[in-house]
Amino acid sequence: MTTRAAEELANLKKAVLKDPWPYWLGGILLGLGNIVVFIYTAAPWGVTTTFVFWGAWIAQLFGGHPETWSFFSQQPGMLQVLKGGFFNHGGSIMNAGIVVGAFLSVATASQFRVKKIKNGRQVIAALVGGLLMGYGARLAFGCNIGAYFSGIASMSLHGWVYAVFIFAGAYVGSKILVKYLM
Amino acid sequence: MAEFTLDCLGEACPVPLLKVQKKWTELKPGDVLIVNIDHSCALKNIPEWARKQGYNVEVEEVDDGVWDIYIEKSA
Repeated sequence: MTTRAAEELANLKKAVLKDPWPYWLGGILLGLGNIVVFIYTAAPWGVTTTFVFWGAWIAQLFGGHPETWSFFSQQPGMLQVLKGGFFNHGGSIMNAGIVVGAFLSVATASQFRVKKIKNGRQVIAALVGGLLMGYGARLAFGCNIGAYFSGIASMSLHGWVYAVFIFAGAYVGSKILVKYLM
Repeated sequence: MAEFTLDCLGEACPVPLLKVQKKWTELKPGDVLIVNIDHSCALKNIPEWARKQGYNVEVEEVDDGVWDIYIEKSA
């Protein structure tokens, strides 16, 4: 291989593995990915409904009976997924794929690192934020993927309503962040 | 010609950029700000912000997933 070719290859490797991809490319790939998900699962991509099952399976491990909860007892489709288990649920496999994919991406860029927790406020903010996001996502029947991204892609009005309110929420959230976390 | 260091290790976006913007007002022309980060999105938005303001930026990868961003407050 000539020096020039080796150089070009190194540049390409850096652009693909190490540097952040441009936003437009990420947008196109997410759109194509959602089409694939829709073809294979007959529903647009969503993330947080899966957490309901993960929570229910964990509850079962500790002797709980989520199958008696109205969410499952009154929705036969949901009950079926609950009984089918992790490996028969596409949503669970996809969420696990997000974690594995994120790890591969950071590992191939050689940027993997276990980050330190900086202070107690970070822990509290993460816990409170996580609870609010999880609770809100269930009340709204989805998160920024299921309700917003897939909502707009399905020509549903609720995706656009989500878009308006996510800006309002982000505005308030950033004020809180500057006040308490800086 | 003073040098300031801002430790943003363990901080997630947008905190590193906000900290840089806050610190920036204390700097005099000719001063240099060194920002330690381990969050790859700060690697994108901090240089982007500084270059848009017209300042010189240099990035050094000091360890796996750890960078130092040098920003010079030119006159």
